[in-house]
Amino acid sequence: MNAKLKETILTPLSMGNPITVLVLGICSALAVTVQLKGAMVMGLSVMVVTGMSSFVVSMMRKTIPNRVRIIIQLVVVSLMVILVDQLLKAYSYGIEKQLSVYVGLIITNCIVMGRIEAFGLANKPVLSLLDGISNGAGYAIILIVVAFFRELLGSGTLFGIQIIPQAFYNAGYMNNGLVILPPMALILLGCIVWVQRSIQKELQEK
Amino acid sequence: MNTNGNTYTIIYSTIVVVLVAAILAFAAMALKPKQEANVKAEAIREMLTATKGYEMESLGKMGNDDILAEYSNNIKKALVVNAEGQVIDSLSISKHEIYTESDLKEQNNLIKSGKTSSLRLPVFIFNKGGKEVTVIPCYGAGLWGPIWGYLAFDDDFKTFAGAYFDHESETPGLGAKIKDDPDFRAQFEGKSADFGVTKIFSIVKGGAPKDQENAIDAITGATMTSRGLDAAINKWLAAYKPYFIKAQENARALAQVADTLDSCNSDNTIIAAASAASAK
Repeated sequence: MNAKLKETILTPLSMGNPITVLVLGICSALAVTVQLKGAMVMGLSVMVVTGMSSFVVSMMRKTIPNRVRIIIQLVVVSLMVILVDQLLKAYSYGIEKQLSVYVGLIITNCIVMGRIEAFGLANKPVLSLLDGISNGAGYAIILIVVAFFRELLGSGTLFGIQIIPQAFYNAGYMNNGLVILPPMALILLGCIVWVQRSIQKELQEK
Repeated sequence: MNTNGNTYTIIYSTIVVVLVAAILAFAAMALKPKQEANVKAEAIREMLTATKGYEMESLGKMGNDDILAEYSNNIKKALVVNAEGQVIDSLSISKHEIYTESDLKEQNNLIKSGKTSSLRLPVFIFNKGGKEVTVIPCYGAGLWGPIWGYLAFDDDFKTFAGAYFDHESETPGLGAKIKDDPDFRAQFEGKSADFGVTKIFSIVKGGAPKDQENAIDAITGATMTSRGLDAAINKWLAAYKPYFIKAQENARALAQVADTLDSCNSDNTIIAAASAASAK
């Protein structure tokens, strides 16, 4: 049991990372990684949503009719996402305003549905909760790494604080406008996959 | 139990959907007052920031109640004007009646569809260090969603005291700069709206001419957002034009009265001095 618990929590962070290994949830990874703050809140929201939906679906798993299970899962995920959005609106309005569109997009995030299908339906609720949170964390880490480079190179800031000194700009340095646009996020993501595969040789196909 | 039968599937789905709907309806109802208070406080924060008496950051740290108190302390009057520039109503200051984004959207639709006779445009007059600052909203479409903002005018009713803009979903780092970049907003200060021409105010791509009083620079890389903001400002200023023309005339008349009073006062001193001299 302990080994399984450890595996459930650690795998999504490296060997089974939802973005770099399973290549799920790419779309939102491109959209919300322009600034670090947004990426962090998005990562946190996905953690909460994946964890809670896996938990609820896992509790219902023995009663769900097989033929409509995807729809039932979608209803549960939507419920969680809308609740998170409503709560943010009431108690953390400033952050909600920054993320309004993206929070709604979590509903269609493949990671959430993927984890429920692959894990939540076959495992006990608590384990599913941990699996969901852990996968959300694996997603959040990649988002933060990408956002770090995009904000630093694209805007010269981190968390909105100027990092690259004015002297550089005076000497002719310019923020890279390309990094702000989605294609560069995809290239950065590719670089991360490359680095991970060269370190973890098991991931390479023969 | 057979969980794959038709009856079971239909009943199960119905129960789940009704249950989820009930939970969401309850959550929406329970959280609504708090959410509305947030929206209102945010709109007040934006107006106060536009008057240039405040920084958004410090206002952001204040709770909703403090924001309402701050509003009551600073607002002088809040009016509703029609398309002819006549004051037709006033907003209750004690109840903190303001226009939120949805109200602005409604007015924007009226302006767009040309039904100007039913327009009810808000005018907020703030007290700032003994001077009156008039704040009016604007609303329009950005690249991805609505953008709106508040324009603050000095007491000559054409020079900008400041401005603040917000958006629903503009690109962070590009179009979102209308809100996030203080340098963009700061361009408004000291510039003025020219109600005499059709293009009342311009946001110019590639840089505004230095000597043009009613123009500022657009945001690099955010052409559509800048254009949308330009259109929103012009559309709303055009709707407010009659009110502002009247207000400018009044301001000029008042200034004249003040001048005459001044000269009367100096006359009086001369008379007093003369009578004092003759008494000797």
